[in-house]
Amino acid sequence: MKGFTAYLRAIWHVIQKDIRVEWRGRQGVPVMLVFSLLIVFLFNFALQLSPDLQAGLSAGLLWVSLAFASTLGLNRSVSLERENNALDGLLLAPVDRSAIYFGKALSNFAFTFLVALILLPVFSLFYVQNMLKLPLILFILLGVGAYTSLGTLLATLSIQARTRDVLLPILLYPLALPILIAAVEGSRGALIGQPLAELQSWLFLLLASNILFHAAGLMFFETILEE
Amino acid sequence: MNLSKKPKLLIVMDVLAATLVIGALILILFFTPVEAVMGPVQKVFYFHVASAWAGMLSFILAAAAGAAYLITRRINWDWLSLSAVEVGLVFSLIAILSGMVWAQPIWNTWWVWDPRLTTTAIMELIYLAYFILRSGLDTPEAKARLGAVYAIVGVITVPLTFFSIRLFRTIHPVVIAPTDSGTAFNMSPRMLTAFITSLVVFTVLLADLVWNRYRLARLQAQNLEEAR
Amino acid sequence: MPEPHSDPARIVLAGLVKRYHNRPVLDHLSLSLEGGQFCILVGANGAGKTTLLRILATLTRPDEGEIQFFGEAWEPFPALREKIGYIGHKPMFYLDLTAAENLHHYARLYHCDDPSEQIQTALHAAGLQNDQHKPVRTFSRGMQQRLSIARALLHEPEILLFDEPYTGLDQPAAQTLDRRLRDLRSPKRIILMSAHRPQRLLTIATHIAWLQNGIISHHLPVAELHTAPALQDYLQETA
Repeated sequence: MKGFTAYLRAIWHVIQKDIRVEWRGRQGVPVMLVFSLLIVFLFNFALQLSPDLQAGLSAGLLWVSLAFASTLGLNRSVSLERENNALDGLLLAPVDRSAIYFGKALSNFAFTFLVALILLPVFSLFYVQNMLKLPLILFILLGVGAYTSLGTLLATLSIQARTRDVLLPILLYPLALPILIAAVEGSRGALIGQPLAELQSWLFLLLASNILFHAAGLMFFETILEE
Repeated sequence: MNLSKKPKLLIVMDVLAATLVIGALILILFFTPVEAVMGPVQKVFYFHVASAWAGMLSFILAAAAGAAYLITRRINWDWLSLSAVEVGLVFSLIAILSGMVWAQPIWNTWWVWDPRLTTTAIMELIYLAYFILRSGLDTPEAKARLGAVYAIVGVITVPLTFFSIRLFRTIHPVVIAPTDSGTAFNMSPRMLTAFITSLVVFTVLLADLVWNRYRLARLQAQNLEEAR
Repeated sequence: MPEPHSDPARIVLAGLVKRYHNRPVLDHLSLSLEGGQFCILVGANGAGKTTLLRILATLTRPDEGEIQFFGEAWEPFPALREKIGYIGHKPMFYLDLTAAENLHHYARLYHCDDPSEQIQTALHAAGLQNDQHKPVRTFSRGMQQRLSIARALLHEPEILLFDEPYTGLDQPAAQTLDRRLRDLRSPKRIILMSAHRPQRLLTIATHIAWLQNGIISHHLPVAELHTAPALQDYLQETA
């Protein structure tokens, strides 16, 4: 039991450290936010979107911009640990290494979720519809959770390679496809006011992805980092 | 260069696989009935499904061999995993292309966003990413270790992808989408025989190709060793 | 949490193998170190000094071999890591955080609940108490090195591993490090340090180990160096 509290504490220390570094450097959330807004503008003109966008399109646009922006955040989060071998410092700590994975995954989750929460009113403004709806936020919570849990694992994997700067999207996007389909469809349903009962297949898919990818992180994080 | 002699059993298997493929081809071309609605193009079906089956089987084999590598840390398992991925990529590509050939006359379009076809295409991308990952790593140990993790996580996502696309399709029906009645046809006993034969033949072909590729991987490793 | 061990520190390595490119870098290496030893690890570039130190720090996984710390098998890692302090090539700090914040982060990972007092002592010993609120980014190599040692000592480890600590230090910083290392010697502590130019350490260290061809070919007290002419010649060459 005492070991378990120590484990939870270690997770919390990693998250706290990430928040502090983010607060000092401000190199994660602002970058993600600006990038996701840029994508919104690009898509707006590339696809000739109208202000009274269908719910399906605005949900899709939200998730595409979040998914792209989150990739930057994930890369930043692991390159931060690479700089100066800070990661070795974490690996030397007397805790099971999966605690480090959960800490990193949760802080990545928090940063991407924060970006999503800022994007929602912006989308409401741009596309004349109220996007601050609780069911939508539930889908964002689950979607971002699954996406960052897989993303943290794959980002840690990709920094081991020489091609680390370009590798993450290539590794992540094909595997994240089911998460994005479920998140977009669930969000679309939530936006047009479908009751959650009708969207439960997507909820289950996202829940299953969350469990599966967090479990994969628990199992493989140490394997990825050992030399 | 150390070209150890090809094992006799492997030569036997090469010949067996080749004979079986030709035999299955003759069986399909001359001894199965022409499907009433779709016509002769339906005969693509036998090899199409068989290669999709072989592709999926090799990706599962790759993940299993990857897991075996992570447990035992014997590099031979990595050779097997890599070989299975390579062979699986080719089979999946055949499945995609033959699916397109089939789709063209039936639905009047080369590409349908059918869950099975799309999932196969995504799988193709996953395992192309697998090779890009490996090419960015320096030591054979890192290639094996990280390749194994990616092959395992990759295979986990395949059923998720399939179900999410299928669910997506049921919500967004498209005019030319293959409905269940579109592809399903009642197989006559002779069709069923040819179908099962194709599955067996492609499984043998898969085993033969993976074995050959495995042998190549071993020779490559030995060669590198001697070059040092 | 296991009870802290009362026996003096002791490391036994037997048949250690680590391969890269299917070639052994460490090839059935054996070595045993007792508490109180300050052992310099010498050897050519690429001989595997860093690999050996990283294996002992639990950062690299050996392919084969047995490792015992304090007479116990090497697993499980988490509790063991409390007894290990490691100073690697790079200082392992977050450059945007201050010296105090970095130490705080590490101290808490080592289960110190209220580490402020410990951190002040550590900063004082490193001579950095006036710079503790500056981001590590602004530190010189020597200051980072001193902070690095302070970090590795926070949890008072019984085993200290140094990988080429003199690299990149100017003369005054190197002399400060000399003094610091003298203070760190203790009968309960094992210090293993790789050094490219080991001469300056011969007056500080107690033992010397020579890593070549994947094994420790010599391991003897510095005082008995005259009994190993080959090693003496090697030290002459690197001088």
